Amino acid sequence: MTATSGPATGAPVDRVDGRLKVAGAAPYPSDVRYPDMAHAAFVRSTIAAGRILAIEVTAAEAVGGVQAIITHDNAPRLGRAAASVLGPPPPAPLQDDRILHNGQYVAVVVADTPQQAAEAARRVVVTYDRAEAALDLDDPRGESVANPFGWDAARGDVEAGLADADVVHEAVYTTADNTNNPLGLFTTVAAWQGDGLVLHDASQWTSNVRTTVAAAFGLPEPSVRVHAPYVGGGFGAGLRAWPHVVLAALAARVVRRPVKVTLTRPEMFTGVGHRPSTVQRLRVGAKRDGELVAIEHEALQSVAMEDDNLEPVSGVAADGYACANLSARDIQRRLNIPCPGSMRAPGHAQGSFALESALDELAYELRIDPLELRLRNYAETHPQLGLPWSSKALRECCAVGAERFGWTARDPRVASMTDGRWQVGYGLAGVSYPWWQVRCRVRVTIGADGTADVRSAATDIGTGTYTVMQQLAAELLGLELSQVRVGLGDSDMPWSPAAGGSGLTGALGNAVHLACKAVVERLGELGRRTGESYADVLARRGLTELSTDAESTPPDPQVLGMAPSGAFAAKFVEVHVDRDLGVIRIARIVSVVDGGRILNEKLARSQIVGGTIGGIGQAIFEETITDAETGRIANATFGDYLIPVNADVPDIEVTFVGGPDRMTPTGTKGIGEIGLAGIAPAVANAVFHATGRRIRSLPITIDRLLQP
Amino acid sequence: MRPFEYTSASDTAAAVEIVTGDPDAAYLAGGTTQVDLMLKDGVVEPRRLVDITRLPLRGIARIGDALHVGALTTMEELAADATVAERLPCVREALLHGASVQLRNMATIGGNVLQRTRCRYFRDPAVAACNKRAPGSGCAAIHGAARMHAILGASEHCIALHASDLCVALVALDAIVHVQGRDGERTVPLTELYVLPGDRPDVENVLVHGELITAIEVPLLPAGARSGYVKIRDRASYEFALVSVAAALVVEDGVIVQARVGLGGVGTIPWRARAAEQVLIGGRPGRALFAAAANAAIIDPYTVEGTRFKVTLAERAIVRALEDLVA
Repeated sequence: MTATSGPATGAPVDRVDGRLKVAGAAPYPSDVRYPDMAHAAFVRSTIAAGRILAIEVTAAEAVGGVQAIITHDNAPRLGRAAASVLGPPPPAPLQDDRILHNGQYVAVVVADTPQQAAEAARRVVVTYDRAEAALDLDDPRGESVANPFGWDAARGDVEAGLADADVVHEAVYTTADNTNNPLGLFTTVAAWQGDGLVLHDASQWTSNVRTTVAAAFGLPEPSVRVHAPYVGGGFGAGLRAWPHVVLAALAARVVRRPVKVTLTRPEMFTGVGHRPSTVQRLRVGAKRDGELVAIEHEALQSVAMEDDNLEPVSGVAADGYACANLSARDIQRRLNIPCPGSMRAPGHAQGSFALESALDELAYELRIDPLELRLRNYAETHPQLGLPWSSKALRECCAVGAERFGWTARDPRVASMTDGRWQVGYGLAGVSYPWWQVRCRVRVTIGADGTADVRSAATDIGTGTYTVMQQLAAELLGLELSQVRVGLGDSDMPWSPAAGGSGLTGALGNAVHLACKAVVERLGELGRRTGESYADVLARRGLTELSTDAESTPPDPQVLGMAPSGAFAAKFVEVHVDRDLGVIRIARIVSVVDGGRILNEKLARSQIVGGTIGGIGQAIFEETITDAETGRIANATFGDYLIPVNADVPDIEVTFVGGPDRMTPTGTKGIGEIGLAGIAPAVANAVFHATGRRIRSLPITIDRLLQP
Repeated sequence: MRPFEYTSASDTAAAVEIVTGDPDAAYLAGGTTQVDLMLKDGVVEPRRLVDITRLPLRGIARIGDALHVGALTTMEELAADATVAERLPCVREALLHGASVQLRNMATIGGNVLQRTRCRYFRDPAVAACNKRAPGSGCAAIHGAARMHAILGASEHCIALHASDLCVALVALDAIVHVQGRDGERTVPLTELYVLPGDRPDVENVLVHGELITAIEVPLLPAGARSGYVKIRDRASYEFALVSVAAALVVEDGVIVQARVGLGGVGTIPWRARAAEQVLIGGRPGRALFAAAANAAIIDPYTVEGTRFKVTLAERAIVRALEDLVA
């Protein structure tokens, strides 16, 4: 490496796109305008199951400016792409008269202005033949799919372990549906240019949008170009190319004009996924000294009738603790609901609530400190693979967290600590979140002026990818930060996996590492002299630029002889509960995270803080409510669906421990989800400590606490 | 959004004349309710909006032992008033616990009094059964997500909540509403402005179409009174009340001589708990008396699964509000 005075990664560099964003100059999809652009609005089903009998459009067509009304009667048949790592793409919309969930798109109205489109959409009258809908996880009419991902885990003999246990804790834990709710309403702008299609889309994965849309219209993939340079948040909602994306392209083709569609907030509750509700049954057996001898974790979750969602819930039990006897099983039940999708820490958000609550209950039954119980069952090696971890500093997370939080000041008796009318409780949880390792490509180009461009189809959804990749490339190339430009969010750039699954920093970072190394080597081959600038080398060799593509591929654990460990964290929470009124306030949270090598401490901290706030929402606020009769979302607004406001967010202390992971050259681990995982159980455990009330259902609300 | 005509009024009588003469016209003040109802929810569709924000109905004046609050005064302006802070703490606290600062800078006092329910069954035209929106169609909320709904003044016809915080304090204080109609001005006690839903939830108040609230007159509490507002909700800010209590006490020689209790989060209209006041008057402040008052406050609640907890919560909140006053 030729590093000279490049900025050290890890430095708390301000995000490079911060000024653009604050000034309103960052071009989000909703800012895109084309001359002669038309606007689309949707008509959505008001029933959850059945058939469309008729769609009356006369009144809608009478609204000024209406260009087209597209329904299943006149929409062309569309294709469906092959499955990605997340599973198959959503079924193509408007293909038949069947209704599978409330909120399903049944028509698209295209007009000259968004107001005309919305008004005309309201005037479309749809009559239905309504069928009985399956809406409840308990509804036996919904088809059950066992082991839906093929990831169920088992080892040892659970029944024998339970028989051998001194104490067995058995309980059922439930979690509510939650909705991602990125602040930015998802927008797609579609413009056909000849036989090619340009999309501007609020996507976390441009390459996936290109694949889905190309298959829908039978186009070769290179004919579709997807731009997502800036996205107003996603939290997983932007991982798939949802039906509105395909419909924007369809509408543009029908009216032969560019078409823009921006989802309404209520549409964001039915059209772009949500975290599915779960019912989880735990049986945990332990010896008197706290040694875990059996864990059985069975997790039932909801999924759509004809769409799929990768949501491994019980996997947290398989990887969490050293326990010889384990069974971790997932079951999905098909219901007439909008399809769930990834939402920050998918599966783990729900699974860790059940597992870490159960361990807390077990600790009380055994009269062992909850932190001590976890340390006694610390998994020194990967409990399922039997391989050493590529890195694991969870023990340090626990020790540092306990120290910073003041865990030893906790009176172990429940309902023992007070502050005036407030009952005070301490709770904790230990968690991990893997990083999704997928191949990723990047192009690094040195220009004639000696500066570098890093380009990838990857997206920065607000997490700081632009910034950390600029830092990483500058360090590897030995350039100043200002001498590196990072271009993202364009599917014509080298293929990238999603900004999701805590995986992008690793995948893209390792690709950047390989590409930069290759560029530096190539410069050496060109006879670069010590201290000679890149510009001089290129000039001397008569080159206008030097460009290299590289691809990172996930390492094979068996070949490396180590288990990819993901991030670890210990979460410590203090809650206050009003003893008469049941009001819950979170007083402080200490998170200690082993995130591997941290490329930018400031942005990493911001990720953890944001995830923690999402965890507060899951713990005490968020619940997407479905009407039992109609399947309609009953609280699809920001006034009714509660997410934390500033006043709900206490001091959040974040500390990083551990060091570079051994798995990959950059040494990073993903930290996008680890901030959220574990907050809900730590809150529930603290509420129990404060009040003696064990709440096994999320969210933990005043009415649940007041129930006798 | 249905197209509509927009007019900005510069004269109060002219504005009243326009709206009175046009059944499809409505007033527009801060717009924090009206714009949602029209543009986002599509449940009201006036053909003409008469913007009254330029009328001279803004400002606060003390006249004798009452505050006269112009209907276009914003929530923030009223909360910042020195007399309100000194003599009507329950009004100030109710205001500052309402909405968000952004909304409070837009929302007017007159609009607050006439705000529509936040019931998501009323506000979603896709819901067929709503007696308030479509008389005779039924009530979907009683079988639905009813946690934010009313238990007092409610029935199987309607459980929609009047979600105002301010009005809970104002009914407790016997505020008087000044109204201008085509035929002149009149006053209506706030406690008589609202109509219980009964079997006609679409009728919400005694105003006739075109009548305009011009001011709210708020009698000041006696100098030695204590008052406050307790609001219970999940979030610490920007959420309607699950239960709220506006309370005022005047205690002389250890005996309560004047008591005022208003309840929010529980009523189809801002709720005056007179039975609780009767228990308090003449008694000595203390937890036993407060509990008895709380017990008397909730009479014949109509609860559904989602609202059952509100009976207990309201009783405890009343005790808390009164305890806070004598602490």
